[in-house]
Amino acid sequence: MNLVFHGKRIEGLLAVLPANERLFVDEMDQFDFPRARSLKLKEVMGYDRHRIVDGPVCVSDLAVHGLEHLFAQGLLGRDDFDALILVTQSPDYFMPATSSVIQGRLGLKHDMFCMDINQGCAGFLIGLYQAFMLLEQPAIRRVVLVNADVMSRKVSVRDRNSYPLIGDAASITVIGRCDDDAPIHANLKMDGSRRDALMIPAGGMREPSSAETRELHADAEGNLRARDDLVMDGSAVFNFVQTEVPPMIEALLAAAQTEAAAVDTYLFHQPNRFMLQKLADKLQVPYAKMPSNVVEHFGNSSGVTIPLALALNLREQVLDKTLTAVLGGFGVGLTWSSMLLPLGPLAFCDIIDYPRVH
Amino acid sequence: MEEFLKEMADILDEETVKEDDRLDGFESWDSLAVLSVVAMADSRYRATFAAREIRGATTVGDLYRLLSAGARAG
Repeated sequence: MNLVFHGKRIEGLLAVLPANERLFVDEMDQFDFPRARSLKLKEVMGYDRHRIVDGPVCVSDLAVHGLEHLFAQGLLGRDDFDALILVTQSPDYFMPATSSVIQGRLGLKHDMFCMDINQGCAGFLIGLYQAFMLLEQPAIRRVVLVNADVMSRKVSVRDRNSYPLIGDAASITVIGRCDDDAPIHANLKMDGSRRDALMIPAGGMREPSSAETRELHADAEGNLRARDDLVMDGSAVFNFVQTEVPPMIEALLAAAQTEAAAVDTYLFHQPNRFMLQKLADKLQVPYAKMPSNVVEHFGNSSGVTIPLALALNLREQVLDKTLTAVLGGFGVGLTWSSMLLPLGPLAFCDIIDYPRVH
Repeated sequence: MEEFLKEMADILDEETVKEDDRLDGFESWDSLAVLSVVAMADSRYRATFAAREIRGATTVGDLYRLLSAGARAG
């Protein structure tokens, strides 16, 4: 479906990364694969290092750390927003919502619309849509969107299919109203019939966690994982992305009556460099316009990768001027979505560390 | 076919590969190699293959015929 929004803008964003950094070459021996093949995987996919929590760090820990930083630096007033949206797949608890946990830990005012959304790699876009819709309410002046996941805690360290690329992170995006009434165009599709491509089979009500679901089993390739762990069908995800994303971007630009040449940057979700370069080839977008370096620096942190791609590659530009940006998210659900919007000048666009636990 | 054999040699980390080579005879015939073939099918043949279809091929030549047929169908 096509979506249109008016008079909304991103005011600033902050990303929070665990200080703990692990190198792929130091982790190769935990996989049951020949080293030469793991090195080939590193080269093809663009793996190098990733940031993962080094203890029982939760989503609310990363979010509270980031928001306290913004309050302390005077970049956001604690009473200057009226809604707190958290997009995560790794909440602190089944209940209550982790957005309520964050509100409570920070002692935020009671006039606050808290909500959790279960979304992954398209989660930055889904969160923005929800923020834009909440801003239709006069009582909501500003929305804080938190994207956060600690998926490393739900991926087997013996699973070469997923562990090398996973990253933990949070981002805090402040969204408000503006006078510019030029439409923001977006589109969104979902296909729950392909939900098996990315999932954590056990641990919910369908298959509660038990001693059995915690047992490691080898798959046909030799990856060891439990049913409590994330499992990804890499080839199915690859085909999904290469099939669905290019026509989605073409449809977005057509609906917005915008030429591809007018787009300054394509900020896509960052599954790995390999998949992004194949996408760029298909869309005939120069690699310089489509960052693909988030996984090699930080790992793939689901909904946080688009803010990270911006802060890592375009910080100075987006603080200084307005970029015409196409955002693209695709993944679990399956969900795929894109948005064309003017981005910047932002009040802040930073990356900070969450201190080590050990 | 020449081009295809060259790409397969690169994917399998071999100097050369032949049409009647068995895929499971290569230590490098793993999930990365299968994904690389899925990607080649997409970019070179504009065809979409599931990993299990690629794994269904016995020899390098079988794979060539599978991808070529997919290109016609697609």
